[in-house]
Amino acid sequence: MKRAISFLVVLTLACASVFAAGAKEEAAEQKPVTLNLMFYSPELQEQYNDMVAAYKAETGVTLDITVLQADYRSVLTSKINSGDIPDVFMTSAYADNSTYKDYAYDMSNEPFVKQLQPSALQGVTVAGKVIGYPFLVQSHSFIYNKKVFADVGITELPKTLDQLEAAAKKIEAAGIQPFATGFKEFWVLPQTAWQALAPAVVKNYGGYAKFVAGLNDGSLKFKNVSEMAQVFDLLDLIKKYGGPKPNESDFNDQTSSIATGKVAIIHQGNWAEGTIRKTNEAADIGYLVGPAGNDAAGAGIMFDSNQTIRVAKDGKNLKAALAWLNWLTTSEYGKNWIPGKIKQMSPIIGSDAPDSQIAKATAKLLGEKAPGYPWFYQMFPTGTEQQLGAVLQGYCAGQTDRAATLDAMDAAYTKIAKAAN
Amino acid sequence: MKKKTSRFLVFAAFTVPAFAAILVSVEVPFLMSVLYSFTKWNGLDRVPLFIGMANYTEIFLDDPDMMRALSFTFQQTFFRVILTNAIALLLAVLLDGEIRGKNALRAIFYIPNIISLIVIGYIWRFIFSKGFDSFYEMTKAPIFMLSWLGDGDMAFGSVLLVSVWQSIGFYLVIYIAGLQIVPRDVIEASMIDGAGPHSRFYKITLPLIMPSVTVAVFHSLSNSLKSFDVIFSLTNGGPGIATTTIALDIYKTAFVVSRFGYGTAKSVLLFLLILAFTFFQVKMFKSREIEA
Repeated sequence: MKRAISFLVVLTLACASVFAAGAKEEAAEQKPVTLNLMFYSPELQEQYNDMVAAYKAETGVTLDITVLQADYRSVLTSKINSGDIPDVFMTSAYADNSTYKDYAYDMSNEPFVKQLQPSALQGVTVAGKVIGYPFLVQSHSFIYNKKVFADVGITELPKTLDQLEAAAKKIEAAGIQPFATGFKEFWVLPQTAWQALAPAVVKNYGGYAKFVAGLNDGSLKFKNVSEMAQVFDLLDLIKKYGGPKPNESDFNDQTSSIATGKVAIIHQGNWAEGTIRKTNEAADIGYLVGPAGNDAAGAGIMFDSNQTIRVAKDGKNLKAALAWLNWLTTSEYGKNWIPGKIKQMSPIIGSDAPDSQIAKATAKLLGEKAPGYPWFYQMFPTGTEQQLGAVLQGYCAGQTDRAATLDAMDAAYTKIAKAAN
Repeated sequence: MKKKTSRFLVFAAFTVPAFAAILVSVEVPFLMSVLYSFTKWNGLDRVPLFIGMANYTEIFLDDPDMMRALSFTFQQTFFRVILTNAIALLLAVLLDGEIRGKNALRAIFYIPNIISLIVIGYIWRFIFSKGFDSFYEMTKAPIFMLSWLGDGDMAFGSVLLVSVWQSIGFYLVIYIAGLQIVPRDVIEASMIDGAGPHSRFYKITLPLIMPSVTVAVFHSLSNSLKSFDVIFSLTNGGPGIATTTIALDIYKTAFVVSRFGYGTAKSVLLFLLILAFTFFQVKMFKSREIEA
């Protein structure tokens, strides 16, 4: 018996020393501040690293960034579950405001928030509280290869579905594939689809908040949204002129095909430009407005700040995290980081325009009073984007007809909305 | 008395660490999953909400996607178990015989098994799209212009092809090992009795390697029922949900739609399903094993 006790004591002591070592390490880390960040968009890895180096040089604070893409959300969720919450992490705007409500710091009273464009703050404001920092302002619509358009003689850019089809016919007649669909990516399909619905939501359904509220409480169903027909018309058109294997085209196929002029049009966002330029530095590309049926005045681009930086409210480095955001908003380097290095549009008031064809085209279109619609589909409950993307993918692959697709969308949406309440 | 305690202590010293490790890393999480399967929880809220059997009734009464995933998984499992085992056994018999370069061939068949499944998915995704495009340019054979991943029925075949190709190596090893312990004297005796190659295989070899068959079918059955990685990177369950397996459906429920409680309920169900299937399979196959 004695031996049993001594065995247990030894075991306990052995374990204790291990735990003690763990505690000591933590204490040692306290002195020079290291911020833990979790970001997505690995295509920006170089720019992230550049910013980390600049911040270290100016302030001595180390930023430890983990960058993931496909499994970002699952890793973040498991980290939060295990109590290992990163000091700063990235999420979407809108619906994610409520998903991460228990963890995100309310930065309404931080001075740097006043330096941000009010339009960029829409997606992160809940009941007057700013609970996220808009990272980039992005846009998506149809990107076209200017050289191909010039070669086949399209002078007037299409604004309606009929005009887009006429353009596609002309391009095809010249022996060039009109579209690379991107239908294999779960996010490209819904982005293409919702853009075609955006004007109708404002015009016929009393705005986005009301539209989404109706879907959430079940009083509105997709099958009763008659304008869904123009979404299907657009998808059919892209599929018809999308080459022999329209359901296998992914982001890489889209960007490389348009860069080389193998295809003329893709549905993508300004983030695709960097990848396009990696294939062809000199690609000459522009933006088309997204047709919504045959109403030329309603055709616009989707323009919003969705990628959101959140600060963990219970993090032990809360002050340091806020100081970093302040630096990002007010310092010379910080202000230039997004337009100058990332080459996308910055939400900071008075920041420079980036040297990017798509960003310039975005500014030009908005300047010419083309409508800029918010990414209202991000107001759908978390996870809807991918689920509805799969349903639409089934439609494009010919598995369901329009009626069955609408029923499947309603079923999927109802389930998620019910679970999110 | 004293001797007994010390024996017990030695026994405990060897088993307790392993027991504790398994308890903490396998059993406790499993039991927690069972608990979570009775809750409504998005994986982030601090307190899960207890909702009793509601998740389980939803699976059976109100989840057509899950039912489609179930039927897809069963169909895949059926073909995978038969094809992998038949091809692996055939190759094993060929590679066990006297043929030239058999070691090299064995290595070639085994290599896909040591590459990460996710990587294999991406490689084949490339072959099916860009690779087949180039083949078409060269040969103009219409088979390369089919949409191997974009059409629901074609994708079924493509997924089957890749998973069988990938897993054959492992079962090949099991069967070759089984064939090598078949005693030569029994074979020779049957040859003296005038048995031809066919009856020799069916009457002597096959019954004697039945233990290997049991193991191989068991593994292929449970692996097919939980298959995830290859499909995740090859089709991500698409087009639509045409190639979504139960495991992928669980992943999407938990991590995409953030319904952790519901997702764990599905995984508990998958666990019971695999348990039942493999239990009957092993029982059935064990009864056919004989000793030489």
